Amino acid sequence: MTDFDISAKKEKSENLLSKLSEIFVYGKSMVPALLVLLVILVVYFGAMTPNFLTYTNFKAIISNIPVIAIMAVGMTFVLLVGGLDISVGSILGFTAVNVALFHHMGFPAWAVVLVCLAIGTLFGSFNGVIITKVGVNPVITTLGTMALARGMASWFALDIESLKLGRIFDQKFLLISRLYFPQDKQIIPITFVYVIAIYVIVSLILKYTKYGRNVYAVGSNEYAARLAGIDTTRIKFSSYIISGIMAALAGVVLVAQLSLGRDDAGTGSELQVITAVVLGGVSLSGGKGDLLGVIIAVLILGVIRNGMVHLEEVVGLSYYWREVAKGAILILAISIDSARLMAIKKRQVVRQ
Amino acid sequence: MAEMMTEDKGQKQTKKVRLSSTVILFIFLLVMSVSFAFLSKDFYSIYNITSMLTNIAFSGIVAGTLTLVMIMGGLDISIGGNIAFTSCLIAYIYNLENALPIVAIIIIGLLLGTAIGAFNGFIITRLNLNPIITTLGTMAITRGMGYVLTKSRSILILDNVIGFIGGVLLSRGEIAKFPFPLVLFIIIYASLAITMSKSKFGRKIYCIGANQEAAKLSGINVNKVKFIVYLICGIAASLSGIILTGQTAVGMPQHGRGMELDVITAVLLGGTSLYGGKGNILGTLAGVLILGVLYNGFTMIGFRYVHIRVFQGVILILVVSLYEVREKKTY
Repeated sequence: MTDFDISAKKEKSENLLSKLSEIFVYGKSMVPALLVLLVILVVYFGAMTPNFLTYTNFKAIISNIPVIAIMAVGMTFVLLVGGLDISVGSILGFTAVNVALFHHMGFPAWAVVLVCLAIGTLFGSFNGVIITKVGVNPVITTLGTMALARGMASWFALDIESLKLGRIFDQKFLLISRLYFPQDKQIIPITFVYVIAIYVIVSLILKYTKYGRNVYAVGSNEYAARLAGIDTTRIKFSSYIISGIMAALAGVVLVAQLSLGRDDAGTGSELQVITAVVLGGVSLSGGKGDLLGVIIAVLILGVIRNGMVHLEEVVGLSYYWREVAKGAILILAISIDSARLMAIKKRQVVRQ
Repeated sequence: MAEMMTEDKGQKQTKKVRLSSTVILFIFLLVMSVSFAFLSKDFYSIYNITSMLTNIAFSGIVAGTLTLVMIMGGLDISIGGNIAFTSCLIAYIYNLENALPIVAIIIIGLLLGTAIGAFNGFIITRLNLNPIITTLGTMAITRGMGYVLTKSRSILILDNVIGFIGGVLLSRGEIAKFPFPLVLFIIIYASLAITMSKSKFGRKIYCIGANQEAAKLSGINVNKVKFIVYLICGIAASLSGIILTGQTAVGMPQHGRGMELDVITAVLLGGTSLYGGKGNILGTLAGVLILGVLYNGFTMIGFRYVHIRVFQGVILILVVSLYEVREKKTY
């Protein structure tokens, strides 16, 4: 009787193990592993610090992620077609200066937003033309655009006294990021709604439209995609435009959040965005990954950023360890992903 | 035999093209320097030239070793973080109570660079990960360690030996007549150029960059060569970190921020391809000098840093586009 029990238990645990490995090792995406990591982090910070698991703090985390989250959508497109865009941080900075500039000139809020989106489109198409028409490597092109856009941002901000401060007082514009639902209780910030809306819509586009499927096709095998009649140049071009627009949008949101449009806004954010997207399981070689993984990765990085501050208060661990943790997590994440791919390949070979 | 001959011919032809682009770069450099000399009286003063060259030497050393990495088809973005961490570590140890001798501190700094290079090399070769992402991670780790070590403050390090390495006379607070970084710069470029063109190791690096699978099949220990190259790049970055610490007399975690992109720009200007297998040290030398003269010259004429930054972006895109067009024509 007991023997039977034990063997049944053993079988059960083996079953569980194989099921787990089915999900984590051989599964298609990184999403389950990322979710587990997120839960572990939240539980850890919650157990270690008294103020982490409070509603106020939750709101703080939520209001901190939109900028990176929005830029990550554009970066996902670019990585999916097998490119890279390092200019997003500078485009954000240039947008921020222009918000202040056009306010200074007396434009209404909606016009400022339109101008910013036009700027994003412009830089995106510039990248797109150089990369697809001239055929220069995307890393080099966007490296150049990065210097160009940041330089122009500082240039514009140089001689105008009010731009040096860059403060914006227009309430209508500030509401872009400061609106709450419902307004009196301040429960859901509008930036959170933006993020959810963008991620849901873009996920649906990537999954169910012809354009979305084409993006994946170009990224996994450009040559085959061309033979299948897809206009690969157009798809690649469009991904850089989307990246530029998203960076500009993130710039508008950031300026409205801070009520400050300075030329150094978003310095180094390109690396944060790339870290988030890669951590989310989007492959650098293109054609693999989805937005669900990306948003969880953005949340993970946001939780680390926030949790480390709380940890410093309690344990005295220097806040600056967060940079180290970010780098270590990035390397760990791609190591696990690479190990997973190898395991899947091995199993395929065995099955054959 | 006939096959060998045609192969030889092909190599010679590509070499000719490469040489001529390097020559064009040097002509461009010459034209730029001469026009700056006309536009500004102070450009050709000895003081300006030495200070400019000392500045160039600091980033040029890293650009030289990064050229090897990029010819091999890799990339190392962690150099800026490496510089910051090295600078913070030596300043931190220097200010400990029972201080080590200065030579030991410098050796510790170089060992740190070696360790960072070895870490990059190990992860990239053994775990077979993408070098851009790996070194992105190392960059965050190393710069973060710099912040942790100094708690985001800058630590003063006034020492004659470190100052000498940075090419600064601390006693008078000015740049030395014959700055040490420049000597290092010349020695390193000479040895790198000889390594890449004459030695077996250099040929192996080109071979790996051109076609890794073919290199593996022809019996090259690809992982070993890659590991060594990342190691060298790590050591050079920490050396630059020590030089920068000497020049500024502080160790701080913001050192070398954004520098990786400037260095990559210089290497790309020199004609090295991001896809690997193509490029040379002389080209990088031209690229480094052009960027240095550009910044110095435009500043002397009265342009602001931000304007030059725009020029830098335009020149990078323009030159690399020209390379691309030339490439298409030769085919």
